[in-house]
Amino acid sequence: MAVLICALSLLTAYFVPLWQILMWAPQYPEGLAMKIWINDLSGDVKIISALNHYIGMRAIDTSMFPEFKYLIYLVAIIIGVGVLAFLINRRWSLLAFLAILVMAGFGALLDFYLWGYDYGHNLNPEAPIRVPGMSYQPPLLGSKQLLNFLAFSGPDIGGWIFIIASWIIFFVAVFEIFFKKKLV
Amino acid sequence: MINRNKLFSLGITAAAISLTLIGCKPKGLESVTTSGAAEKVYVAPGKHDEFYNFVSGGFNGQVSVYGIPSGRLLRIIPVFSVFPESGYGYSEQSKAMLNTSHGFVPWDDQHHIALSVTNGEHDGRWVFGNANNTPRLARIDLKTFRTTEIIELPNSAGNHSSPFITENSEYVVAGTRFSVPIGDNRDVPISSYKKNFKGTVSFVSVEPTSGKMKIAFQIETPGVNFDLARAGKGPSHGWFFFSCYNTEQAYTLLEVNASQRDKDFIMAVNWKKAEEYVKAGKGKKVKNVKYAHNFIDEKTDAATSEILNEVLMLDPTELKDMVYFIPCPKSPHGCDTDPSGEYIVGSGKLAALIPVFSFTKIQNAIANKEFEGDFGGIPVIKYESALYGEVKKPGLGPLHTEFDANGNAYTSFFVSSEVVKWNVKSLQVLDRVPTYYSVGHLSVPGGPTKKPHGKYLIAYNKITKDRYLPTGPELAQSAQLYDISGDKMQLLLDFPTVGEPHYAEAIPATLVEPNSTKFYKLEENKSPFVSLGEGKTKVERKGNRVDVYMTAIRSHLTPDNIEGVRLGDDVYFHITNLEQDWDIPHGFAVKGAANAELLIMPGETQTLYWKPTEVGIYPFYCTDFCSALHQEMQGYIRISPAGSNLPLTFSTGKIVEEKESGK
Amino acid sequence: MKKILLPIAVAAISLFSCAPDKSKVVEELPTHQDAKESGPEANQADVTKGIGAIKEVKLTHPLDQERVTRGTAIYEMKCQACHKLDDQRLVGPGWKDVTKRRQPEWIMNMILNVDVMLDKDEEAQKLLELCLTRMPNQNVSIGDARDILEFMRKNDGEK
Repeated sequence: MAVLICALSLLTAYFVPLWQILMWAPQYPEGLAMKIWINDLSGDVKIISALNHYIGMRAIDTSMFPEFKYLIYLVAIIIGVGVLAFLINRRWSLLAFLAILVMAGFGALLDFYLWGYDYGHNLNPEAPIRVPGMSYQPPLLGSKQLLNFLAFSGPDIGGWIFIIASWIIFFVAVFEIFFKKKLV
Repeated sequence: MINRNKLFSLGITAAAISLTLIGCKPKGLESVTTSGAAEKVYVAPGKHDEFYNFVSGGFNGQVSVYGIPSGRLLRIIPVFSVFPESGYGYSEQSKAMLNTSHGFVPWDDQHHIALSVTNGEHDGRWVFGNANNTPRLARIDLKTFRTTEIIELPNSAGNHSSPFITENSEYVVAGTRFSVPIGDNRDVPISSYKKNFKGTVSFVSVEPTSGKMKIAFQIETPGVNFDLARAGKGPSHGWFFFSCYNTEQAYTLLEVNASQRDKDFIMAVNWKKAEEYVKAGKGKKVKNVKYAHNFIDEKTDAATSEILNEVLMLDPTELKDMVYFIPCPKSPHGCDTDPSGEYIVGSGKLAALIPVFSFTKIQNAIANKEFEGDFGGIPVIKYESALYGEVKKPGLGPLHTEFDANGNAYTSFFVSSEVVKWNVKSLQVLDRVPTYYSVGHLSVPGGPTKKPHGKYLIAYNKITKDRYLPTGPELAQSAQLYDISGDKMQLLLDFPTVGEPHYAEAIPATLVEPNSTKFYKLEENKSPFVSLGEGKTKVERKGNRVDVYMTAIRSHLTPDNIEGVRLGDDVYFHITNLEQDWDIPHGFAVKGAANAELLIMPGETQTLYWKPTEVGIYPFYCTDFCSALHQEMQGYIRISPAGSNLPLTFSTGKIVEEKESGK
Repeated sequence: MKKILLPIAVAAISLFSCAPDKSKVVEELPTHQDAKESGPEANQADVTKGIGAIKEVKLTHPLDQERVTRGTAIYEMKCQACHKLDDQRLVGPGWKDVTKRRQPEWIMNMILNVDVMLDKDEEAQKLLELCLTRMPNQNVSIGDARDILEFMRKNDGEK
């Protein structure tokens, strides 16, 4: 049952942001936020892009990320696998679902890292501000000082649901393995 | 049991990992004031501040005066923009102050100020201000806190690098921000920048006793943008240093195209040498110029404007040993000489270090011809030959530097929004404090002089955001006061400012306060429109022009009944304030006036032009609450149809029976 | 002329030296001040002479015509707005017979030291109650005040 709930809870990923990047600078005491959704970006994307142009970073635009186009299907497939795992109701199906969840999670982080690396290092050589040796890759997870900005990267509501769902599946699997020698 | 424990510990681990993730999300930055700050800025009721702070008004075109340390706004002095509250730019006496070669210009962008100096120290006589848009220089008299002179700058297209001043107020300079084609052929393609566009720096002489300004000479330079400047002092007296950017000579998208070179220049001008060339007749008289020179005529207390058509131009490519370029990293903005006069601090606004140049090394480099080439025919000194040293990793976006008396410099950092204190000799960073937010200019009392008074530092910020109660999208600019008397800078006070302050200077009140005029003496009022007493009041007609010579004293205007004025007449109200006591101004307003009101100081005469638009009775009244009977200080003027035969009459206190007045 | 100026100057200097701080005036009795520090003339403390620097005025007969001329000009510039020359009140009282009602010292003190007079002198206060407008300080010099006095005497028919 828990597996079904977890799988279905991933549906929320379509309605809440998954990841967030927050930035603070002395002149932005209220902070700037960029929210990453399953198929979109929201928050102060324009302001962040405007600031980034000083150091030669490309403007951030949803259309540049092919991920946004297939992520909705990918998540649907994951949910489908979850539901299937519930229906099959075998340990191997549970473990398979867990594996897919974990792979999807790390896959997403890797993808995010690659994009961040690309953005932070591929700078316009004609930018007004060029600090030798300086790159501006956002942190993968946690916070980092980038010139005058303190940047933070971490999961948002959808991300948390994903993480919690993964944990629950993990516990169910652990429970299955350690407490019940036989299948339910 | 073991399994359960394992499960439990797994749960704890999961929770811990999640909490760590939440925990590493940083909080926003918070400002801190230390205790004792309130006492340091508290100026008890009735007590005076220690310093006057003369603050440029930016886009309001005025100069404002604050008290330091309280941060109280004491006055706004109208300079380059009309000021309806006092009638500046509207009254017949003040209109001519805003005359230019383009006609009457009612607004400007006032960026920097310079206080007059003698022997490199403040003398409390004048404040100079620049107009960045329609290039001009103004002089404010510190006896009256009034703008007494404005001179326009020909061959300039935006007077930004101004009004910095030499050690004995010999010259106030004016460097053009925008280079433009000058001379006979100005109708050229914008893309011919490199070939046709020229920069100029003007040296405006200041007559030692009267303060009267005159363009002594201009120096023509290759097309670049001049940004800021400072005069040498002490050993470097006789030299002037101008920061310039856009040595790429870009004419479009400067944001990118003027940020390409690793180094732009500080231009060093040997103005004593320039003086020699002027004396030797080496200057070229340029005739195809037109510029206004406006000043208050001491006899009539009214502004007169003259248009001048000649300026003396020096060409540094022909006249050698006068101008040199010194490479300075990344679009230098501030260019500040320290109190000793030996060190020149360049602040590349896109640089990550602060270069400090040595005057002695510059002189040696010139003597030994340590040049790395030329720029537009002007020798470029080798960077290393002029450099004393670099302040490493000071912050992001250095803009301006002020100095204290203890050999320390204070540099503002726009991008990292902080003030950094460093030692000029050791080049070591000593302290840093945040500003709220994105500081532009700084002011230390006496900071640009040979003898800084120190004690305080004021940061003029460009971004205000949440510092005060919100007032919609438009916010006042924010300034911050720091105590710099100790090793560590201490934030004392936030105070909102009017307009958009750029540069400001602070001066001990003792140098200004004793000379402040309290009122104008009636005996010395030589205005042609004065009424020296109520017996001298009159109304005169000359064709369509009606001159009303009126007096104001608590609490009546004389005459206060005027008849016989007709539609189509041009009416001039000349109001003399007969009071001879401090702080008893009278105001004057008339219904339907298309200009403004007048504020007339005691003993002064001001004139308001008025064109009635309809037949009827128009009230006029005193606008400045002057006495218990201020609300009684009023009168009527009757406007009859054009062609009316009603004779011109005027009176005060005359009561007529209704039968007679019925006609 | 010199005869008058000397005592005026002496009085002026003596008052100057003991001139109290503006804000302190309220707290200190001026008569007390005068008696203590201002030399023999001040000892008289004659209330009819008012309060201020002017302790004794020596009038000349006939009138000093130069003073009358100057006094007329000052009157027109600084006084006429409020004072008529007949007995009619405008903002302040008419000047007719003022030199007969008041001591010359009182008149000059009223011109020169009007703020203190309006706060302390009973006769001046009575006039304030009547006119309801405080006479402004028109910053005239002692010599100018003496000229105005001469003009007033002429206005009152003296020769």
